[in-house]
Amino acid sequence: MIHFLIPDLLLLILPFLIVVSRIFSSKRSLIPWYVAFLGLITIFVLLNCITVGETQLFLSNWKVDRFGILMREFLVLAALMGISFSKDYFNHTSDFTPRMHQLSEFMGTVIMATFGGVVVISASDLLTFFIGLELATIPMYALTAWNKKDSEGSEAATKYILMGSVATAFELFGFSYLYGFSGSMHFTDIAASVLINPSSPLLWISVLFLLSGIGFKLTLFPFHTWAPDVYEGAPTPVTAILSVTSKAVAISFVTVLVFGPLNGVKEQMAPFLALLAGTTLFVGNLGALKQYKLRRFMAYSSISQAGYLLIALLGPYEFALSSIVYYLFIYAFSNFLTFFIFGVIERNRPETFDSLRGLSKESPILAVALVIALFSLAGIPPLAGFLGKFQLFYSAAQNHHYVLITFAILNNVLALYYYIQLIKSAWVEPADPTAYRLIVNLRQKVWIIILSVAILLGAILPFLNDNIFKIINY
Amino acid sequence: MNNLTTLSYFIFLLPLFSFLINGLFLKSSYRKTAGFISVILNGFAAFIAIYLSYVYFASGIAPGRMILWENNFLVFSSSLKASIGLLLDPLSAMMLVVITFISFVVNIYSIGYMKEDRSTTRFFSFLSLFTFSMLGLVVAPNLFQMFFFWELVGISSYLLIGFWYEKPGAVSASKQAFILTRFADSFFLLGIVLASYIIGSFDFFALNTLSLADFLDEINLGIISISKAQALFVSSILIFIGGWGKSAMFPMHIWLPNAMEGPTPVSSIIHSATMVVAGVYLVARLFPFFSLFSDTLSLIMTVGIFTALFAAVIACTQKDIKRILAFSTLSQLGYMMFALGSTSVLINGEMAINTLGYSASIFHIFTHAFFKCMLFLIAGSLIHAVHHNDLDSMGGLGKKMPWTYAAALIGCLAISGIPPFSGFFSKDEILIAALQGKHFIVFGLALLTSGLTAFYMFRFFFLAFHGNARSVHTAHVKESFSMTLPIVILAIPSFLGGYLFKKVFLKFFTPGYIPTSNVSESLHSANWVPFAAAIIALIGIFLAWVFYARPYANVKKALDETNRKTFYKWIYHKFYFDEIYYAFVRQFIFKGVAATIRFFEDYVVGGAVKGSVFIIKKAGELVREAQSGFAPFYIGTLIVGLLLWRFLGNLPV
Repeated sequence: MIHFLIPDLLLLILPFLIVVSRIFSSKRSLIPWYVAFLGLITIFVLLNCITVGETQLFLSNWKVDRFGILMREFLVLAALMGISFSKDYFNHTSDFTPRMHQLSEFMGTVIMATFGGVVVISASDLLTFFIGLELATIPMYALTAWNKKDSEGSEAATKYILMGSVATAFELFGFSYLYGFSGSMHFTDIAASVLINPSSPLLWISVLFLLSGIGFKLTLFPFHTWAPDVYEGAPTPVTAILSVTSKAVAISFVTVLVFGPLNGVKEQMAPFLALLAGTTLFVGNLGALKQYKLRRFMAYSSISQAGYLLIALLGPYEFALSSIVYYLFIYAFSNFLTFFIFGVIERNRPETFDSLRGLSKESPILAVALVIALFSLAGIPPLAGFLGKFQLFYSAAQNHHYVLITFAILNNVLALYYYIQLIKSAWVEPADPTAYRLIVNLRQKVWIIILSVAILLGAILPFLNDNIFKIINY
Repeated sequence: MNNLTTLSYFIFLLPLFSFLINGLFLKSSYRKTAGFISVILNGFAAFIAIYLSYVYFASGIAPGRMILWENNFLVFSSSLKASIGLLLDPLSAMMLVVITFISFVVNIYSIGYMKEDRSTTRFFSFLSLFTFSMLGLVVAPNLFQMFFFWELVGISSYLLIGFWYEKPGAVSASKQAFILTRFADSFFLLGIVLASYIIGSFDFFALNTLSLADFLDEINLGIISISKAQALFVSSILIFIGGWGKSAMFPMHIWLPNAMEGPTPVSSIIHSATMVVAGVYLVARLFPFFSLFSDTLSLIMTVGIFTALFAAVIACTQKDIKRILAFSTLSQLGYMMFALGSTSVLINGEMAINTLGYSASIFHIFTHAFFKCMLFLIAGSLIHAVHHNDLDSMGGLGKKMPWTYAAALIGCLAISGIPPFSGFFSKDEILIAALQGKHFIVFGLALLTSGLTAFYMFRFFFLAFHGNARSVHTAHVKESFSMTLPIVILAIPSFLGGYLFKKVFLKFFTPGYIPTSNVSESLHSANWVPFAAAIIALIGIFLAWVFYARPYANVKKALDETNRKTFYKWIYHKFYFDEIYYAFVRQFIFKGVAATIRFFEDYVVGGAVKGSVFIIKKAGELVREAQSGFAPFYIGTLIVGLLLWRFLGNLPV
């Protein structure tokens, strides 16, 4: 029985279906949009129906395990939020010029990147692993440059692709050493060789290059330099997708690597991972301190969130995985909620903190949702972000990384400071009477309410978190 | 007890309903309805809480603990679960009564106080949110629930301090309070992670009944390996730091006086009677755990007594009446803290625990809540009447506001520790506990503080109510019913609370399981302490009278801070002795001691804060400047980063 492959296959077919439906429908038709939206929902439902049993293998290099199913659900949900957020950028405004064109191709590309993420999670040999990573990254380059007329977007894409290529080269180099060291492409064989010979220089050079290469995609210090420029230059929906999907793929890459082939040297890698996590979250927090542009601010905020995510990897298998999955869900909710709000604002205002002024008077729903999203990102109870962070820390505490946890918790205070700056702009400062009115359409309103409620209830109703823990553990 | 369980749900649900109805469903124009709903719901909650604790104390279960309900909330692993529940023991029963009762009274008061405000519904909904979270905090049977509500309390405090967000002062004060308490809470969180990892439970019961002998094996903390018992000691300090920040002990006290920017009812309930005692409550709740480590107790005592004295000295120099009360709150919190810390007694070289300090501290939470809440409400009435916070613009209000005047007199006598007012009984026990513990320096400082307390409270009293009016506003002042009623209600427990409840506190309020012996019987009783304390307080009151209320007292001169010439003129002046007094007070106490303390506060504490902010700002600039925008530089960082991690990454190559 290979029914566990059905969602993956559907996800692979979906981009083509969308593009084909575009060919057979009129230019303004909404059919491709519905195909994408309903298709993703179908896949999400199917994924939830899969009974989680033992790890399943297909053709020896396609693995479906419990973590994989949860991450698939996450990636599909992120894609769903991503295309819902993008939709407004393709709509015709009053002057009949949408800000972006070719919706169906855009959605196809997003879903292709999502499929790349699925490949990364399912891989059980180096080749599949690498293909998955590239499949998740290359569509992102294209998405960044989606607005061909926008020179900033092109500049961002150029930087992204140049640096991305170097990072890919690092990874390939790491893979080649790993292959040279173990003589096999398959994860189980590599894991076995790692256990036999854990201090081989070949292995450690490969670890260094692999982590540096993925450090680029996960925006770890000092490989994060592309992120603020690209996040600012890319179209806003692409920034949102980059900050969630791309980051999730990268962290699952590291997770698969650390708990898969490199499991034998996890203990020796821990100080290195801790160092990466600590510096990254500190640098991200420092960078965010005095920003006044919304998306640049979010770039730094997401850099520091990547540092927090990495902390979980220091814990034992079941704690690390469940806390990462839970945190990713909450992070995606909070991040997309913030971006939905920013999307409303930047529709006819400049993208700065000043545009938020007077938000509490003009649109209390947006202002309250912004507080929920930012307090969740800052990790304040009773919002779900706190629970996510608590689990990350608890996972690392299992292996006694108290120094790092102390550092991370203190950094939380710093993070609170800059998130409050944003809230201050929205709640305290008087409105600019010359600013354009905000327009919130129904889709945006529905998503903003759904995501706010999800963040509020994610911690208060603990079934989501309990389920993740149970699925990974039992 | 099933009935009680059902009832106990309502204690929480009623304030929560009030929050939800006012916050979500009520339009902001229904101002009167909002106040009405809040008062009714909180009133019922108070009634149920009083009934519940009456049944509890009368049933014979007290002082045993009982858990009325508990549900699983989060499962971290099969052995470690966080639950949410209601723990009823003497401590939580007392807090339930205090919180709901004060919340009820303050809600009544707010109807009058917030009458002219535009966003009354928002105010009442936040106030109910606060009550709800505070109740959740005090009944928590485990650390996790406590932390959860601890932060929720912090958020509601943040929302309420910044309630008038048009005022820049209020916004920056709310931000400062939030971030500073969060800073302390991050240590608290760390302590929770550490302790729960070692013990394998969040439960207070598990923490309070552990014995250190079971925790002798090593644990690796990342940099050093220490025994688990030592790690628990570290976690006890970390957990205490959480209370340190919340109860605004020195040097994390700076947020509390600034928090007075919020509406006065908020200052009265949150920043004097309930939220700020959460830190003391935390220590009391975990007292058997803390008492395992005599060093932690000493730290608690030192921090407490220092804050008590320090804040009392500053309070003598303030003119803003809310700030006087804020510093007085700090000083009283210091009292409660050091009482808990002074419980450790050395008997023949062995550590023992004197439970008197514990019950005295909790008794003081109880009495202080009523009289301090009342004093804040009085301050609110005065401010409402003269539209100004400063003593400069008051004076002579006693005749205009007779009820308030009487209540203020009761409050000031209570806080000064004059028998038979409530503060006398609790303060007196605290002093005895300190003396019995042979902490003589602490005892002396506490006596001094008690004198200072009487001085500054009566300075406030005389300057506000006696003498001649110093402001035109005082001409047409009158008392409004909804603002005076709560003050009168609170005056009753402020007057009688100590006398009536002393026996209850001494009988039931013992910390429960204590690893070392309870030694209060074997210590000599100190019958002279109450007299000494009362005499010192009377001296303080007398001095205040001499300076500020004696016939012919030169109040104007006493209030004037700018007039320096008095020091040079004093020999030639007619009121020879007056001038000595004023000169002494101004030049020595005000200009000398207080200035030194203020200098310390501004430059050392403030300097440390400013210094770290400066460093972080510079580092932030560095990060931003590295973001030059040049692609070749960026690619360079990839290579440099790789090399950097090669050498710093602790790789075994």
